[in-house]
Amino acid sequence: MPDYAKTKKPDVKLVILGDMNVGKTSLLHRYMERTFKDTISTVGGAFFLKQWGPYNISIWDTAGREQFHGLGSMYCRGAAAVILTYDVTKWQSLVELENRFVSLTDTANSDCIFAIVGNKADLTDTRAFAVEPEENGTEEKEQGPRASSSPAAPPKGHKQVSREDAVALYSRILQYKLLAEETCLPAERMCFETSAKTGYNVDLLFETLFSMVLPSIRRKEAQSDSPTVDLEECREVKGAKPGCCT
Amino acid sequence: MSVKAFELVPAVERDLLMGDKARINIECIECCGKHLYVGTNDCFIHHFLLEEHTTPKGKLAFSAQKLLHKYLGLKKPVNELKAASALERLIVLCDNSVTVVDMVNLEPVSSGGARIKGVVSFCLNENPVNGDPFCVELGVIATKRRTVQIYMVYEDRVQLFKEVSTPEQPCAVCLDGYFLCLALSTQYMILNYSTGASQDLFPYDSEEKKPIVKRIGREEFLLAAPGGLGMFATAEGVSQRAPVNWSESVLGAAVCFPYVLALDEGFVTVHSMLDQQLKQTLSFRDGHILQDFEGKVVLASTKGVYVLVPLPLERQIQDLLTGHRVEEALTLAEGARRNIPKDKFQIMHRRILQQAGFIQFGQLQFLEAKEHFRKGQLDVRELISLYPLLLPSTSSFTRCHPPLHEFADLNQLAQGDPEKVQRCKLFLISYLREARSTEGANGCREDVDTALLKLYAEASHESLLDLLASENACLLADSAPWLEKHHKYFALGLLYRYNSQDDAALQLWVKVVNGDLQDSTRADLFDYIVDFLSFCPNLDLVWKYAEWALQRDQKVGVQIFTRRAVSDDQTDQMNPDAIIEYLHKYQQATVLYLEHLVLERRLQKEKFHTHLAVLYLDKVLGLLSQSPTLTQEVTEAREQLQNLLKESNLYRVQLLLGKLQESELLLERATLHGKLEEHDKALHILVHQLKDFPAAEAYCLWASASRNQEHRQRLFHLLLGVYLDSDAPGDEHTVAAVDLLNRHAGMFDATQVLCLLPEGWSLQLLRPFLSGALRGAMHARRTSQVALGLARSENLLLKHDRLKYRGGPVVVSEKKGCQLCHNTFTEPDCVCLPGGVPVHTHCAAQRARDSPRKRQSTNPSNHT
Ligand SMILES: Nc1nc2c(ncn2[C@@H]2O[C@H](COP(=O)(O)OP(=O)(O)OP(=O)(O)O)[C@@H](O)[C@H]2O)c(=O)[nH]1
Ligand SMILES: [Mg+2]
Repeated sequence: MPDYAKTKKPDVKLVILGDMNVGKTSLLHRYMERTFKDTISTVGGAFFLKQWGPYNISIWDTAGREQFHGLGSMYCRGAAAVILTYDVTKWQSLVELENRFVSLTDTANSDCIFAIVGNKADLTDTRAFAVEPEENGTEEKEQGPRASSSPAAPPKGHKQVSREDAVALYSRILQYKLLAEETCLPAERMCFETSAKTGYNVDLLFETLFSMVLPSIRRKEAQSDSPTVDLEECREVKGAKPGCCT
Repeated sequence: MSVKAFELVPAVERDLLMGDKARINIECIECCGKHLYVGTNDCFIHHFLLEEHTTPKGKLAFSAQKLLHKYLGLKKPVNELKAASALERLIVLCDNSVTVVDMVNLEPVSSGGARIKGVVSFCLNENPVNGDPFCVELGVIATKRRTVQIYMVYEDRVQLFKEVSTPEQPCAVCLDGYFLCLALSTQYMILNYSTGASQDLFPYDSEEKKPIVKRIGREEFLLAAPGGLGMFATAEGVSQRAPVNWSESVLGAAVCFPYVLALDEGFVTVHSMLDQQLKQTLSFRDGHILQDFEGKVVLASTKGVYVLVPLPLERQIQDLLTGHRVEEALTLAEGARRNIPKDKFQIMHRRILQQAGFIQFGQLQFLEAKEHFRKGQLDVRELISLYPLLLPSTSSFTRCHPPLHEFADLNQLAQGDPEKVQRCKLFLISYLREARSTEGANGCREDVDTALLKLYAEASHESLLDLLASENACLLADSAPWLEKHHKYFALGLLYRYNSQDDAALQLWVKVVNGDLQDSTRADLFDYIVDFLSFCPNLDLVWKYAEWALQRDQKVGVQIFTRRAVSDDQTDQMNPDAIIEYLHKYQQATVLYLEHLVLERRLQKEKFHTHLAVLYLDKVLGLLSQSPTLTQEVTEAREQLQNLLKESNLYRVQLLLGKLQESELLLERATLHGKLEEHDKALHILVHQLKDFPAAEAYCLWASASRNQEHRQRLFHLLLGVYLDSDAPGDEHTVAAVDLLNRHAGMFDATQVLCLLPEGWSLQLLRPFLSGALRGAMHARRTSQVALGLARSENLLLKHDRLKYRGGPVVVSEKKGCQLCHNTFTEPDCVCLPGGVPVHTHCAAQRARDSPRKRQSTNPSNHT
């Protein structure tokens, strides 16, 4: 049976939330297509399927616009991981996470993991700005302007949100979820600063999350271990190792 | 971005419905097979028969025939119509009540019993949980506040089954299994009417904008969402597909897999459920109703009815492929998997994959193309046939029709760009190699291998030889001219060989070696041919080409024979005698061959040994007769001869001796005499003629090498005798004799020597010999003394043992019994067992006769 990623049911769901314009679509685009290109403000939502070893992970890009806010809960239903995204140059985008988006995750799995991501780090952080351009032969696919091809002007954006602010938000989220901080993943591992433009930390973000949700996939699989044999499902779970296909 | 997925075809024209009555509007429609029902605002139901036909121009058209119309007598609009075809009933909502009428005559069934009052809206469960085929399940929004009811409709009655209350006023409903999907005034929700469990979906202001709730499949619904979105939601409240983007003014939606259609004020939009993209927009003014009925999408304005006819999937896919939209085409095809019978799908899918592959091939996206070819199980010949002249002329292949691609051939595809052509060829090489190693070449191996051979030859690819040397199906007739054209004569020879035409192969190769043909594939082609002949089982061929090979180079050519296994069979053409006979013209080759037989194979045959010795000798004599003599070569040749004469015992000595008699080859003669045990003659030659004393000594050692000490002593004495021979006295002989004695003291019997030596020799002269002899004698004496001592001590030990075993005196008396038979002794004769136990002589003899094992077991005490 040939494999059609498009017709396969995803094994696990990951959702990206955040105010409009923080760069959710750009992040996903950077990760999936390895480029940064012009986006239009997302309408409703969109999703991508990512093959991660033997697993299919669906990643939902949501619309940050107020108008679509009501759909958030539905997207989050059954999610194994939620990426809460803000813009490091906009304090309000972090505030909005707390005001509007955290409550949407009530419908996510009880063991859902949270990542707080400050995007556009290239505007404030020299390290994120000077990321090496990728050399994996995807040049043909590129349509938009390239991060590295822009004239090298040092970052001059004003950083409005510090990492500490994000860490503090992370603990407040755990409080909100009535989770004891010690039993959860530590904030240092769950707060990221990224740049969709240069690719800074983008792979790290997604791949860290994928490897963290793997247990969740395994559990789901164990639960659905019915006596009926699924002939189409012929994956080798034993040798499964994340990160082998992109 | 557009595809033509649907075509708008008029079904019922205005005048057929309402003539010129301007105020009459269509309110609702129902379509069931060919039957179309239209409800109007003047309380009529119209029943049409809709026939599909094709116009002479090949267009699809409908002709509607009005069967009946019926006035319901309420002066209210007919709000909804739903057919229950299994019951042959039409369910009608008019004036807030549901009635059930006969599908054919539109007459109400049974009075009163089949009626539901107080209904705002209703829906039919298309996926009912109860399995009764003669019962239809209705979900009803009642006029009663915040209530949804479930009714069962039978042929002639209606029965309330369940009533559930909702948190808010519902305004649209859809039913699937136990799941009610409801639009409430501020949100959508899913309600399980069996368990009462509910699941909020998302907020929506139904007061402000008309909600849409549309079942699209098992437990999945399509809902109008804020911002003009079409949201998908499952009964669990999860969205499995990304939303589609409608306009804010969307009025209605329908599904016709894989498309979602939506109607707004000016357009019908078509989105794909597979990639959520907008695929088609049809302009349509005054749209009023858009609904799908068992796959048929019906669109109505207030005055007329139209059908949106989906274009055949294949056609849509072909359109996409024509536009090079490979991904979309594949998505569409794969999305339709479930809607098409499996074998039909597979054929279609394969073809699309192949076409997709060719599109990508045309764009030189080889990786993607290969993947699609592989998945589509492309007949490799389709690809090969793109490359001019690669397919064998005998190939039965014809390209698939209709064609899979638009290219005539590679040149057209590459538009004369040689670099592109080159890349395409490299791709084909890798593709064919893979096809060979998998099932891909099944059924057309000849075509594949021949094509690969041609590609390799053209590119001077190193794998050409590997291909020909391994199992292959290259067609000779087709490949040969190609290989010739590219001067791959060596390869062509291999191909001939593979086709069991060794003679043709050899002819070709010989021409290359002779320089008649040019092919630099193998610099060592001559060696290759010789090697080939040395294994060639066809002896006629071997004889045929051996001549040429020997003429070219005897040294290499003779390997044809030397590498062959030696046959002893005299009837075999390849027996050594026959070969030597054959080789006689080629002296060098003969020598090499004999050397091979005698020295390497160690064949013990007098004939060969003699022959070789004679040839060696002839060579030496030949060299010697030249002037000036080539010292170096003479030395080498003589060494060869001497070695053979010394090592071999098989050649005919007399014959050689005869040949040597006249020559000055004294050393050889001495050796020959040695072989005849004529040592005195030999030594005489060495000492008197050759005057080579070291050679004389070496002779003694050689001639006695495998013999005993005495023989050696005899030879040395002989030599000494020759030195001391008074007939030919001379100082040098005396010196030689002294040296011999002094150097080989151990080889002589000193006493004999002393008798022989002339009186006058000084002791000092013979000091080394004498002291050596003395030392030898001393050594011998001491050694024998040691041996004597050791023998004595051994003897003593034995004696000691004997005494020990004998012990003290043996007392025998009449009272004492024999240990073996326990009888008393009557005579003094007795035998003592070890330990001094006396027994009867006859008992001891008896015991000795018994087997040792038996003896041990009968008398274990004897061990001690
Ligand atoms: N400098 C910089 N600009 C970025 C980065 N990521 C996104 N942007 C820009 O930010 C704008 C918004 O990006 P999107 O990815 O569309 O934002 P979004 O979060 O998807 O917005 P919505 O879809 O409306 O919710 C675009 O103009 C991007 O070019 C980044 O890492 N660095
Ligand atoms: Mg976006």
